This record gives sequence, structure tokens and C-alpha cells, in this order.
Amino acid sequence: MKHQTKLSQEQQHAEAHQTRQQAGQEFAGADELLRFDAAQTMVPPRIARRLEESTGKSGPPPRRSWWKNLLGQ
Amino acid sequence: MNPPVTGQSPEVTEPSAWAGSGFGSLYDEHSRAIYYLALRFFGDEQKAEDATHDVFLKAFQRMDQFRHESSVRTWLYRIAINHCQNLAQSWHSRNVHATADDSIWENSAAKTDSPLRVLETKELGQRIQTTLDSLPEEYRLLLLLVADEELSYEEIAALVGQSADAVRGKLHRARKAFAARFGTNA
Repeated sequence: MKHQTKLSQEQQHAEAHQTRQQAGQEFAGADELLRFDAAQTMVPPRIARRLEESTGKSGPPPRRSWWKNLLGQ
Repeated sequence: MNPPVTGQSPEVTEPSAWAGSGFGSLYDEHSRAIYYLALRFFGDEQKAEDATHDVFLKAFQRMDQFRHESSVRTWLYRIAINHCQNLAQSWHSRNVHATADDSIWENSAAKTDSPLRVLETKELGQRIQTTLDSLPEEYRLLLLLVADEELSYEEIAALVGQSADAVRGKLHRARKAFAARFGTNA
């Protein structure tokens, strides 16, 4: 059982190593690699909770006056 | 009239400013892009979290200053770049060096991913971070911005205060430098 676990870990490391080696070739370049990395990144839900608290304290957002909207200022 | 209940969490008592302004949907749409920029800019999850919070709070407080001359995304990036550069400068001047928390890499993978997938993502993330950290800040920022397909070269140029041609030239060199260093970090 222990042997199997060790083997499985070794396999995982070998596969991960292979992935690392291939990473540079799998992606067309830095742009694609960073896009993939960004897509894998999870935004911590804590930030939304903190923002909800902070915006609650700071009150509603200021409204733009109608004449500024009209004049595009 | 009942007295106000004390000790209640702010999200229970005052949800209207966030929910009522439509700011929640703006956050949902753009938070990943801003968080990712901050995460790879600092290489530190806590700093990225604080910066993302501060950027969106600033945006919330300055919504009346948004002139629709650029996209909301570009406007948010402008706030984020200024904020990150100011923070980096202030930390640097105090000689405080960031030490990346190991949990940063674990959080880069989705919770449902297999252990192997988490390991791969973690190692790839570390390698990307190490490579980005070895580049000049200007190159790092340009690479992170151009990775966002929603931004045009003209928008990136406006964000970094340079011409589109200058950005193209620098990006060419930044990509080459990234590829060379990414290869050596294997």
C-alpha cells in the first residue's frame, strides 16, 4: 500500500516535471502563458466582503450632476 | 421604534451602497483582471488582496469622475497601476522586501482541481512569478497588460504614457526576455 502511494507520488512528480518542461512549448509565448495563468487565478471572496463593508461605511457613490453629463464634462 | 441593533455586521445593515449602485456587477466583471495584475506585480497574495480592495474602493468613491472617454476596464487599470506603483515605491523606500506566501500558489488553482492539477498550477505559477520578478518593472507591467485581450495596444500605450509604437518595441523585447528567462527557470 505504502509502495503504491510512493509510486503514485513519484508518477505525479514525473508528470508535473514533464508538464513544467512542456509548458514553454505548449504555449505560443508569454502572452498566452500569462492568459492561461490569469484564467487559473481565483479572486479571494474575502475581497468582495471587505468591499461591501467599506462601501457601506463610505456611503453611496457620488452622483454626477445632470449638466456635467449633458456637457460631457 | 426599535433601537438600532448593535454588533450587527455591516453587510447586513448597509448593503445598499454596493448592491444599489450596480457596482457589484462591475466588480464581478473586472476583479479577476485587477487582482491578477496586482498578484503578479507584487508576487504576494495579501498585498494583491489589499490592492484590489483599495482599487475598487477608490473607483467606487470616484465613480462621478469617470468620463466614459475610456472603457471602465482601462479606467480601473489606471487606478490599479498608480496604486501598485505607489505602494511598491513606498515599500521599497522603507527597504521592506516582499516574501511570497506559499498559499499564493495554492490559491491559484481552482478548488475542484485534482492534486496533480493543483501541483502543476502551483509550479507553473511559481515559475511565471520568478520569471516576471527577474524582469524590469516596465516589462513586467507591459506583459501583464498585453495578456488581457480586452486591451488594445493604444489603450496600453495610454496607460503607460507612451506611444503605441514604443509599446510594440518594448513588448517585443519583453517577450524575448521572458521566454529566455522562463526557459532557464525550468
